[in-house]
Amino acid sequence: MLEIRGVRKSYGAKRALDDVSLSVRPGEYLSLLGPSGSGKSTLLRIIAGFERADAGEIYLDGKPLTAKPVHERGVGFVSQGFALFPHLTVFDNVAFGLRFRQRNPVGAPAEVKRRVDEMLELVGLGELGGRQIAQLSGGQKQRVALARTLVVDPHICLLDEPLGALDANLRRRMTIELRRIHQRLGIIFIHVTGNEIEALAMGERVVVLDQGRVLQTDAPDTVYNRPASLQVARFLNRYNTFDQRDLDGAAAADGVSCIRRDLIEVREAGYRAAAPETLTTATFVTAEYSGSIIVYFFSLPSGKVVEVEYHLSHKRPAELREGSAYALVWRTDQAMVFGSPKIAA
Amino acid sequence: MRAPSDGTTLGSVSVTSPSVPARPRWTDRYGTWLLLAPGTLWMLLFLAVPMLMMVYVSFWTQKTFSIEPKLTLQSWINFFSSSTYVGALVTTVEIWAIVLFFTFILGYPTALYIGLFIRNKTTQTIVLVLCVVPFWTSFLIRVLAWRPMLGKEGAVNLLLLKLGLISHPIDVLLFTEVSVIIGMVQIYVVFMVGPVAVMLGRIDRSLIEAARDLGAGSWRIFRTIVFPLTLPGVAVGAIFVSVMVLGEFATSAALSGQKVNLLGNIIVTEVGSLKWAFAAVAGVVLTAVMGIVIAALLRAVNLREEL
Repeated sequence: MLEIRGVRKSYGAKRALDDVSLSVRPGEYLSLLGPSGSGKSTLLRIIAGFERADAGEIYLDGKPLTAKPVHERGVGFVSQGFALFPHLTVFDNVAFGLRFRQRNPVGAPAEVKRRVDEMLELVGLGELGGRQIAQLSGGQKQRVALARTLVVDPHICLLDEPLGALDANLRRRMTIELRRIHQRLGIIFIHVTGNEIEALAMGERVVVLDQGRVLQTDAPDTVYNRPASLQVARFLNRYNTFDQRDLDGAAAADGVSCIRRDLIEVREAGYRAAAPETLTTATFVTAEYSGSIIVYFFSLPSGKVVEVEYHLSHKRPAELREGSAYALVWRTDQAMVFGSPKIAA
Repeated sequence: MRAPSDGTTLGSVSVTSPSVPARPRWTDRYGTWLLLAPGTLWMLLFLAVPMLMMVYVSFWTQKTFSIEPKLTLQSWINFFSSSTYVGALVTTVEIWAIVLFFTFILGYPTALYIGLFIRNKTTQTIVLVLCVVPFWTSFLIRVLAWRPMLGKEGAVNLLLLKLGLISHPIDVLLFTEVSVIIGMVQIYVVFMVGPVAVMLGRIDRSLIEAARDLGAGSWRIFRTIVFPLTLPGVAVGAIFVSVMVLGEFATSAALSGQKVNLLGNIIVTEVGSLKWAFAAVAGVVLTAVMGIVIAALLRAVNLREEL
């Protein structure tokens, strides 16, 4: 159980974390989603102990953590660039913590070997103990970094953009691996990412952070379907946002309407909206086909671009003419309305 | 795709099109050699040929004030049977080892401070430049400045007397091996600081964070992570220092009162009295010693892999 209470951190005049409070359940896999500069990495570094919070306290299993130095926290940290020791072999990298930690280091070489081999096996690198770091691929380096952190039995494992340095294929494989490893060890994993899909896929809960503040903490499907604010909706990259002047008629109350791309229907111009529907007229610009999904781009008279997504497994692609006007229709109750229109500008 | 329709586009396309076979130009064929030629020529003329000449001349016959191109081993036999010259060789190696040791002992912590503890890159550069400031005066002045410092009534003795740490002035400070070593260490320590500081600056901070995160203390991190990663810098610094110390003659001439003779001093003396063959022998021996030292240092650290 990890409790973060009222953590603040500023760099000069810039506020990196502004009263962040979180509680992480035992054994939970938590995603921390936010754009760059949102303070997500800072929070991770404060938990690890690399940075000191200006205010606030962190409790691990009820005991305050912030006064402890890094090497006594029992918090594992896998950094973005992996930070492997380039002059040591894979085995010696993983063995580093066991051999050299100040608190009860493992002296017996046989015991070190047993635990390192076991951990290399767990991350799928059983054969590669003798390799030099320079001889590894990106994905293998990631696994070594993970093994090196996990072998010392941390209470928490912090992952700073763990998949950022990997290519798309590897990323998918690693997500599966990460989840399997998490399940095996049953400790808290906190996974920082700027990628909304990764955050939704990995976390049992997703924390959305922006400008040092927590915007939402919820299960992935809640965050996806019911974003708590306009900013959250924007990060998800799945929502179109409309000022009221973009919409035909007084369809909604004051504020900004957010509607998911795949909930919009394209109709011929002149379509008359029925009672529970909202409608706007837009010009078709172009379409982008990506296998199972096709995305249509429309532009509103205000210049704003609207994206409409058809999942081809349950919708037929529409035949649209570039430059022609169409009616974009959605069910009013599926849209969300946030705040005053001013923040949308 | 839009087809090129206007004449200029077509014209420029035809130049590069494969339908006109490009004649291989002579620069393509000989380019590599042409680029290599000036450097190779320079090295041959001013390094390889003189070195071979020196080896050759060391076998010439030495007359009182001249040499004859008659091959003989006499100069070599004289060199290795004279206790003065063999002694100079031993002193040279001895002083080299001591100076190298102290440049490391003084230089490494300095570099560690500059490269690791000064966070600001600008401050880092300023401090490194400060290390080079002594080089803004001439070599001779830097060496001679040690005389008023180390003499019997010099600054060091005066200070120690004033502080009551000694009752009589220490007289081994000047015109001994000690003064030569002090002078050399002061001049050459910078060449150890520079390369090591550069290597330290290159160490990714996240490595140190990772080691700390894994539970290691500072001394352990230094021993197992930081120091091994700076070894190439130490090797480069050691090579700089070694080459310069082994070829030294000015510091020992100015600060030893003729008491410390290095191979360099022997060469200067022999050349001065026109004993060319003999000077050549000493030169070959000195070059061989340097070669062995550099080879050993390169062997200890695989620079090609680590730089």
